[in-house]
Amino acid sequence: MDFRAGDSWGIFAFLCAALWNLPAVPALNSTDEAGAGQSIQKTYDLTRYLEHQLRTLAGTYLNYLGPPFNEPDFNPPRMTRAEMVPSATVDFELWRSLNDNARLAANYRAYTHLLCYLRGMDGQVAKADLRKSLGHFCSSLQGLVVSIAGVMSSLGYPLPGSLGSTDPAWAHGLGPVSPHNDFLKKMDDFWLLKELQTWLWRSAKDFNRLKKKVPPAAVTLSLEAQGF
Amino acid sequence: SPSPVVRGYCVCAVAVTCDLARRFVQYERIGADVTMKCGAMDWDAAVTWTVNGSDIDESHLNGSYLVLRNVHLGHSGQYSCYEGSSWHLKYQTFLKVGTPPKEPVLMCRSNNYPKRFYCSWHLPSPTYVPNTFNISVIHGTREMVCEKEAVPKNRCHIRYLQLFSTVKYKVTLTVTNALGRNSTTITFDEFAIVKPDPPENVVAKPVPYSPRRLEVRWNNPSSWPDPESFPLKFFLRYRPLILDQWQHVELSDGTSHTITDAYAGKEYIIQVAAKDNDIGTWSDWSVAVHATPWTEEPKYLTTEAQAPETTTSSTSSFVPPPTTKICDQEKVVGSGAVAVAVSWAAGLVLAAAGVLFI
Repeated sequence: MDFRAGDSWGIFAFLCAALWNLPAVPALNSTDEAGAGQSIQKTYDLTRYLEHQLRTLAGTYLNYLGPPFNEPDFNPPRMTRAEMVPSATVDFELWRSLNDNARLAANYRAYTHLLCYLRGMDGQVAKADLRKSLGHFCSSLQGLVVSIAGVMSSLGYPLPGSLGSTDPAWAHGLGPVSPHNDFLKKMDDFWLLKELQTWLWRSAKDFNRLKKKVPPAAVTLSLEAQGF
Repeated sequence: SPSPVVRGYCVCAVAVTCDLARRFVQYERIGADVTMKCGAMDWDAAVTWTVNGSDIDESHLNGSYLVLRNVHLGHSGQYSCYEGSSWHLKYQTFLKVGTPPKEPVLMCRSNNYPKRFYCSWHLPSPTYVPNTFNISVIHGTREMVCEKEAVPKNRCHIRYLQLFSTVKYKVTLTVTNALGRNSTTITFDEFAIVKPDPPENVVAKPVPYSPRRLEVRWNNPSSWPDPESFPLKFFLRYRPLILDQWQHVELSDGTSHTITDAYAGKEYIIQVAAKDNDIGTWSDWSVAVHATPWTEEPKYLTTEAQAPETTTSSTSSFVPPPTTKICDQEKVVGSGAVAVAVSWAAGLVLAAAGVLFI
């Protein structure tokens, strides 16, 4: 499959840049702990919805890639290219000890990256109905990114990073595979979907933790912000 | 008097690794032909063979060799060879007849996610000889140690070092015995094997003055380490004993539920299952509990024409009381009358639904 360096490339690079510079969602009233709690619940629900959507989408997409990608026991070693995709895998103790800010930031960064890569994948799919499904999914995923940003703002946390060392390597043009390396490209797609699925599972757990902890934290933060 | 050879056998009898024992324990496959030599005795020497103390008929001998054809489990035992005249023990062995291992059955599961997961195994059929099991767990490039448990013996556990892994686990179990070996391998994702234990302390109680309600309470399984970050959701099923069709309720919050559509006066059987909110599979059903909704004590049996609700015929147990009785009841039991009328109507609906499902 040819990777066109022209129009679609330009578009998604622009999109990636745009996403990174998302305007901050106006912070809710800092004492509005109920608001933060609701946003977290909404974000949690979004991750569940996306996870269900992804199951169908991934099944279709892997069939489109064909064997061995659609085989249930397919268990390839992780290739270095795939390391550009942010991994949900984390040391157990480290994950438990993440503070709320770090936990949210990790989710935000991950989905922003993943969304970028997904949009890149979208541009090259030959089948129209699959492209449409991918497009829908990307919109939903963007909704999740915005939702996470909303939670962070309502809790007074700054949105992580802008374009710089953390931006997706593809935006710098390191990404494109030569048209002859079709298998490697499919492998990238496989790992992207897998990592996305794992992130959605992880986010459900992340937001569970946040759900329990946020109301008191929101009060503390608002007090700190007001100089108490 | 027993020779030192015999004592040596008693000490090392079944240990496979004991070198002495190799001379004293012999493993053979079912169906094999076994020839035993009487130690260093010549072929034409006069000997007597015994098995478990009983003499063996000469027809099984080929000179001084003992020949057992097409051995089966009944041939297992202690074989001894004595020199003809002196009755000196010249050779002794314990024969164990068995089979090489069939492919073992292996499964892994996490009932205490995200702490650990365990793998357990068994052989589909016995080998009748001692087996050793060796398990290897590979996660990506890393080999993990599966810590064996004392009880049960065929189980080991692994601590999760990382969570939310995209790389599958590959577990291989090898079974070896003196007659052969076999192995099996399974691969799985971290999330796929999460299956909690069933909920505990399930209790169902009637609700006073509510003839159609049952209050059910339960606890999280005690093996689930962190219900705060990894909440469980529950599935409750209930039916009156006299019906086969279960009703189901899925609950994403809390460890209690009130059934509000129970049939008045009927004994119910209730079970609960648990699942991590987001991943894995449902637990087995909890122990079943029984409960009957509250009913008013029949105080006016002699003055009222109403007969007690019939439960004797199981297929037609929803015989509606005649309408006159409902009117009579209204004087006595306010909501109860409604309950009876409703239960009758519900019974019809259920019967209709039951027909649809057949």
